[in-house]
Amino acid sequence: MNIKEIINTLVSGLISGSLYAIMALGLTIIYGVIHVFNFGHGIVAVLGGYFTWLFLTKLGLGLIPSILLALVFMFFFGLLLFKATINPLLKTPNWEFSTIIFLLGMGILLENLALQAFGPRVKHIPAFFEGSLKIGFVRVNWHEISLIGIVLVFILILNFFLKKTWFGQAMRAVAQDMDGARIVGISITRIFGYAFAMATMVTGFSGILLGTKYYMTPHIGWDWMVKGFVIVVLGGLGSATGAVYAAFIMGIAEALATLYLGSLWVWPIWFLIFVTILLLRPQGLAGGRTL
Amino acid sequence: MTRFNPPALEIQDVDSFYGELQVLRKASLRLQQREVVVLFGPNGHGKSTLLKAIAGIHPAAAGSIRYLGEEISRTPSAQIVEMGVAYIPEARNLFTDMTVGENLRLGAYNRRARSQVAQNLAYVFDLFPRLAERRDQIAATLSGGESRMLAVGRGLMSGAALLLIDEPSIGLSPIMKRAVFGAIAKIKSARDIAVLMVEQEVEHPLRLADRVYLLKKGRVILEKPAAEINKAEIEQAYF
Ligand SMILES: Nc1ncnc2c1ncn2[C@@H]1O[C@H](COP(=O)(O)OP(=O)(O)OP(=O)(O)O)[C@@H](O)[C@H]1O
Ligand SMILES: [Mg+2]
Repeated sequence: MNIKEIINTLVSGLISGSLYAIMALGLTIIYGVIHVFNFGHGIVAVLGGYFTWLFLTKLGLGLIPSILLALVFMFFFGLLLFKATINPLLKTPNWEFSTIIFLLGMGILLENLALQAFGPRVKHIPAFFEGSLKIGFVRVNWHEISLIGIVLVFILILNFFLKKTWFGQAMRAVAQDMDGARIVGISITRIFGYAFAMATMVTGFSGILLGTKYYMTPHIGWDWMVKGFVIVVLGGLGSATGAVYAAFIMGIAEALATLYLGSLWVWPIWFLIFVTILLLRPQGLAGGRTL
Repeated sequence: MTRFNPPALEIQDVDSFYGELQVLRKASLRLQQREVVVLFGPNGHGKSTLLKAIAGIHPAAAGSIRYLGEEISRTPSAQIVEMGVAYIPEARNLFTDMTVGENLRLGAYNRRARSQVAQNLAYVFDLFPRLAERRDQIAATLSGGESRMLAVGRGLMSGAALLLIDEPSIGLSPIMKRAVFGAIAKIKSARDIAVLMVEQEVEHPLRLADRVYLLKKGRVILEKPAAEINKAEIEQAYF
């Protein structure tokens, strides 16, 4: 073991941790506000990446315009999905259970639609920057530095949005006490709808970022979803701060496991940490805290 | 406005159910503008249910509810708040992970109140200096009395013309009770506001109220000016 290896591993853990953080935030927003777990999460992330790829290669748009268009697209896709399907479900008894099952079914449907439309071959989104930065013995791609930067800025913006805007405060209010939110004049279904749309966009964005570092197939979404699930549970379901901490812990754990044990050990180590922390602290890292 | 000077609230023959269970049976009452009315009644006979029907939290199944002459029995709760009705539930329903200040600010969520956040905040802090001291404290850590004050304060932030308060004194020490009722007395004298208050405690509210209603088995069975009724008479009517 040498210091160079460790530093390189920590840096790579920070990079995947930041990607996991943004992915887990989409899941956390939906869980926090609507109190259902989105089993369609993975494919939503994949779709964000696929639409970007589509606009990039088929419409011939530049990388940034393609991403922006995909984000707008994902927002309205989420809003439409909510209005057309989840909103009617909310009016039924047992809506939480029906919604969870519906989202799972929708995930499988979308995965297969994506398979039909795009085929099973692996796709990439190009890096934002070429070249790398060398500090001493540590070498990091500019692209990966930009990923960390983007995620950190995103977290700051999200935090500002949640704490300082009427809409963000209304989302937190719904997350913390639904009757209380109604009492102050917040329309629950309206907040649900926009929270779902926003989470769909954020999740799509995480898929785009993941697609620039790793690769995408229609099936990879399930892996991403399981990772997202572990992270949000570990962070304390519904807590944004907890999810961010958990994402970095798991990112670094993954990098260390890959270095010392090999990449086949990543999943066993993830679940070992998951089970251990939950045994010691069943409420998760930021347990009991809400959005 | 349908009439020249309509009552603040006019409830006629309201029925309300939870599933099969009928809780309100043709309940009727009325509040003039700026009037303070107390609704007494035994436990479980539908007082809270009536307030929830007015606020649109658990809408009435039948009957009419008019606020300043306008029918609101089918209106969504968000719009009822916007029209000027504030509901302060017995359960408080505070946003427990937010600070006192954030809770109060959210009380002014409706479009009409947003432009008056600063004035209303000053008013609430003047009414409950304790809340001003705890402005940055997380609501979950407030004492019972403080969280009751916060619930009332949050209701006042909406700039309401009709305040519905459910058992503001429940579980409070005598000193806290006096503080809360004192605040309601101040609201009454200073603000252009009508108050419909549900209470178990009799003495304080009787001193505050203009009129009294008694609700039993989902019906309003008695209506009297507060000056013409006493504790014994109210308690007798419970049985
Ligand atoms: N959400 C609910 N679901 C089912 N039944 C309910 C619900 N809320 C109230 N009830 C029932 O309706 C009846 C009236 O309840 P309500 O809360 O209006 O009584 P109350 O007069 O306010 O009583 P208290 O003085 O104890 O607060 C009670 O029998 C109660 O059990
Ligand atoms: Mg009650």
